[in-house]
Parts: sequence; structure tokens; C-alpha cells
Amino acid sequence: MSSFIALPKGVTEEAFTKAIKEYRALLGEDRVRTDSASLQSYLKIMIPESVELHKPSAAIYPRTVKEIQAIVGIANKYKTPLWTVSTGKNMGYGSAAPATSGQIVLDLKTMKKIIHVDEELGYCLVEPGVTYYDLQEYFKKHKLNLWVDVPAPSAMASPVGNTMDRGVGYTPYGEHFLFSCGMELVLANGDVIRTGTGGVQNSTSWQNNKWGFGPYVDGIFTQSNFGILTKLGVWLMKGPPPGGYMPFLMKFPKVEMLADIIKTLMPLRLAQIIPNACIVVNAGWEAAGYFTYDKNGKGTNRDTFYKGKDSLPPKVFQQIMDKYDVGAWNFYAALYGSPEQVALNWKYVSGAFKAKFGDKVKIVTESDAKDDPIFEYRKQLMMGGSTLQEFGLYNWRGGGGSMWFAPVAAARPSECDKQMRLATEVLNKYGFDYVSEFIVGWRDMHHIVDLLYDRTNPDEMAKAYKCFNELLTVFTNNGWGTYRTNTAFMDKVSHSYGEGMRDIHYKLKKALDPNNILAPGKSGINLNP
Amino acid sequence: MMETGRRGFFKSIFAAGAALVASGAAVAPRPAQASAQTQITGVCLFVPSLGRASEFVDLMNTNAPGNWTVHALHGSLIEHYFTTRNLFEEARGSANTFVGVVDPATFAIVHEAIVDSGGSFHYITHEDRNRVTFSAQL
Repeated sequence: MSSFIALPKGVTEEAFTKAIKEYRALLGEDRVRTDSASLQSYLKIMIPESVELHKPSAAIYPRTVKEIQAIVGIANKYKTPLWTVSTGKNMGYGSAAPATSGQIVLDLKTMKKIIHVDEELGYCLVEPGVTYYDLQEYFKKHKLNLWVDVPAPSAMASPVGNTMDRGVGYTPYGEHFLFSCGMELVLANGDVIRTGTGGVQNSTSWQNNKWGFGPYVDGIFTQSNFGILTKLGVWLMKGPPPGGYMPFLMKFPKVEMLADIIKTLMPLRLAQIIPNACIVVNAGWEAAGYFTYDKNGKGTNRDTFYKGKDSLPPKVFQQIMDKYDVGAWNFYAALYGSPEQVALNWKYVSGAFKAKFGDKVKIVTESDAKDDPIFEYRKQLMMGGSTLQEFGLYNWRGGGGSMWFAPVAAARPSECDKQMRLATEVLNKYGFDYVSEFIVGWRDMHHIVDLLYDRTNPDEMAKAYKCFNELLTVFTNNGWGTYRTNTAFMDKVSHSYGEGMRDIHYKLKKALDPNNILAPGKSGINLNP
Repeated sequence: MMETGRRGFFKSIFAAGAALVASGAAVAPRPAQASAQTQITGVCLFVPSLGRASEFVDLMNTNAPGNWTVHALHGSLIEHYFTTRNLFEEARGSANTFVGVVDPATFAIVHEAIVDSGGSFHYITHEDRNRVTFSAQL
């Protein structure tokens, strides 16, 4: 019987024991863990697969770049694959668990330095373990009027992790990779490189100029396994002056109104009158935010309204909408600038929607919303604040199962409408509900659907897997790519982008990491599947 | 009045004491590791929808005698995160058992709060789709 809870593929227990001994000689006993209690932290997966498929063999905690260089040396020697996480909060996309069993989790949460924050030009340079909350606290402590764009689990997620997975947020800087500038990476051979202008000796513009000279390579290190990112530059937004931030909500009563909402908002978005990555949220997602507890401790969830095993009938959705006063669609956006600009832009925005929808649209401003917790959560996200309210979704159905299905759409009304209808149809076929939001990008939509299911129920696990698989197939057949996915489906998604792309990813992997030691399986890239 | 189903949780809590003691053999010793000789000094987190504080205290003391403190997680989910981190870090110096009974949304956050504080778990049990119990290693 093995003394480890898992072993890397093709590595004997004897070899692995030697590797662990070397890792411990480098980092010490306490920073190389193989005990089941320590490793259980990496097994809280939410995808419909057995944890056996994703068990790490060890977890190691470096503190410096030099240590990481030495770690990859040992990994090459013993062929022990390293699954890198920053803070490991990729929930719904595989969490912190490796794509395949036996990989060593290289946990970078112990690298927590905020190396530099530049107020004058609005950027920072951070290590992987720095969270968005850490940055916000830093801004407060040093009285800096800077905002960092955050994803929904802002308090505990890291800019490095989220940007490397090409996550998005909700301010005008919502496209995180676009607003990153300069990387430092350890390659599989132990070399350290700095991208952009970072390679110039004594560079003064590493976090100011993205491109440097020659081929731009930062992109190949995102959603990939070609290097270990150890520092990242992130552009920060200057906070607007008092009266220069106006979050608002518009509620629409009918599901069929989606196309007209998109049609009305996109000209405002393209003109930068609405400059942020605004959100169109469906009734399920919006209502789930209210599934907390009243003063008597009474909680509500989907079961409160419906006991059936199938998907929620439309009339029950309507009851939920009525109870919580949420729209079939709920459009959250914000205006930024001087108070005068905001006031003027509000005339354009409110005027456009009133002209299109008349009294069918209910407009809610901050003063109307008072202390509404869901308005507050959206307000925080659109100004780079901290909130974890989105986790309320996990009470919708319960059971701890969640997968983000994340296709992209061109931001055209008919296309968004078609995606919404198709996703609803496939989800309902398997008894699941359509719980979604559209995050409005520069020209595209991130259509985020939370496939919520009960992981404690084997039947629901199997259905969730099949449902997700069918969603991918159906959307691919319609010409829609998926921007991000969980570890169970990375291979399938990579195939959907064509064999040419898989081939170039394979060639890059072979050139940069011939021993396949960096996160094999990430984004479907694996020399030894 | 506690539902019958909830009693299973307290059985689990009792088991947690044993698991905690047993875990000493499986993991490297840590500063607040309980030993077989140590009486339970426990912290129990709960969400109010799953029971009242007085019920938790009574049943804890009945089924897993010791010195129990119970904490209701009130407020927003982000408050749950920071409350848990604070309680876990305080418990490190003063308790040997850290358990909870929470809903799935709260669990997703509490789990990360404990992990981010350097903790790990003896067990995590989804008792049903709306209730999760856990015992964390201090």
C-alpha cells in the first residue's frame, strides 16, 4: 500500500519518495505536505467527477523565485508534474484540484508581496498570493485613490490567478488580461524571463508598455502550462471624484426582452457612455442573491418554491420574481467621470431605455435601492470593491455542485437571444435551471451560465456531466466558442477550437516543457495524455 | 426543537473529537494539535436557519462533552469569510476542535476562510443538499 494518497502518472513510489525528500531538503518539512489532511484542502471540487481523478500527490509552498527555479529542477529530474495555483479559488472551473491525479500542487499563496503600487500612472506589480482584498487594503492604508477591477470572489481571489485564466470583472477595466502589463515567469528549464519591456536592463516602463519589441508572447502564458508566473503588472483605475460614480439597475419583466435590451445598450457601450463591463442578469441568478436568512433565521432556496425534480416551470420563476421583486432580466451598469459628465450621460442612458421600453422598464438608482444587499453587491463589483455575495448561488439547488458554462457571443441581439434559448432548452432537458448573466465586453458577451446541481446525488452528478457535455457540443455546432472551462472538459473545449490550434499548442509545449512537468492537461495541453 | 436529522450532526461532532485525536498520527504535529489527554475545547459555527444557539450548546455538551462556544454567522457572505478567519485564528490559541454546520453557500466561503488561515479538514460531510458539516484541524 502506498504511503502517498496519489502518485504522478508513470512515477514509481520509490522515485516519488526520493523527489519528496529533495523537495523537503529545499523547502523544509512544513512546506512540502503529503498528508491527507493537508491535501484535502485541494479536493473541494464542484465538478461532476470523482475526487479520485483529481487527487494531488503533494502540495508545496515556495516563497521565492529562486525556490521555484530549484523546484522545476527537481520536477524535471523525477518527472513529477506541478499544478500551479495562486490562491486556488477557481471555483466552478475545477477549484484548486489538478486536472489529473498525482500532480503536485505548487501553491503560490505564500508569495504575497505587493512589490510596487504607482499612484501617478495607476499600476501595480504583485506576486501570485496577493488577493484583490490585499490590494484594496493597501490602497486604504496608503490613502491612494485607485481601483482594481475585481471578479466576483474578490476578497479571496488573486489578480495573478484570475488574469492568467483570462477572467473578467465589472469596471471599465473589466477585461483583466487586456489591463495587465508585464509578466515575470519561471520556465520549465528554470530560466526566468520578463515579458514586454521587462527584459531591458533597468527598464523603467515594464508596467507601462505592454508590447516591447518583436513577437508579443504574454498571451501564450495565459490559460496555459508553458511557464509559472511569479510577478504580474496590473493597471489600476483612478477613482472618479465625489459624485462621479453612478451605479444603476434596470429591471425588465419578460425573458423575450433580452434582444431589445442588447440592442439598446450596445450603442451606449460602444460610445463609452456606458464604459464598464456591465451585466445583464437573469431572474434565477438575481433571486439566488436573496436566498439568505431573515431575522428569524429562516432561509429560502429553490425548494421553498418548488419540490419537483425537473427544471423550474415558468410560473414558479414568476412567483420567485414577484416575491423578490426581480426582473426576468436585470441590467446593472455604471457611469463614471466628473459629476457633470455622469449627469449628462445619465440623460442619454435613461432616455434610450425609456424610449425603447416605456413603462416596462423599472429604473433603480442608488438612492432608490437604499440598503438592498444585491444592489450593494453589484455596486461594489462595478467599483472594484469586495463582496462574496455571488456565492449565494450555491444555495439555489444545494449539494455543492457548480460548473460555469461560459460561451462567448458576438454582442448582437439575435445571437444573445439564441444562446439564451438554446442553453435553457438543454439545461431543462436534464432537469436543471437556466441561471445566467451576460457580461458585456468590448464587442462580445461572456455568457456565464451556472449549472447548479447536487453533488451528493449520483444521478444528478451523471446528468450534470451529460448536460454540460451537450451544451458544449450544441454551442460548438452553432459556431460559438467557450472562453474558459473546468478541468473535466478542457480537452473537449480545446478540440472545439480546431486541430491547427491544438497542434501549435502541442509544439509550444514540446519546445518549452519537453518533460511535461508543468500542469499537464491544463487547457487540453498534455504531451502524455 | 431540533429535527431528528440534525442529531446526525452531533454524532459527527462526537466523531470529530475522536478523529481529531486520531489525526495526530497521520499529520505532522502543529502547535494547537489536540492530544488524547486533552478535553474538548470547541468552537462551533452555524447558520441560524439550521438551529438556535442554545440548542447547539445543549446538544454539544450532551453528545460531545467539553467546553463549547457556538457562533452564529450573521450578515453578508463576505462577513462570514472574515468572521471565520478571525474565529479560526483565535481558536488556534484557545481551542482544540473547530466544527460547523452550514448551508452550501456559506460552506464554500467558510472552507476557503479556513484554508486561507492555514487550516485543513478532518472531514467534510454533505448531510443533505442543504446542510454541510465539517471538522477542521487547528
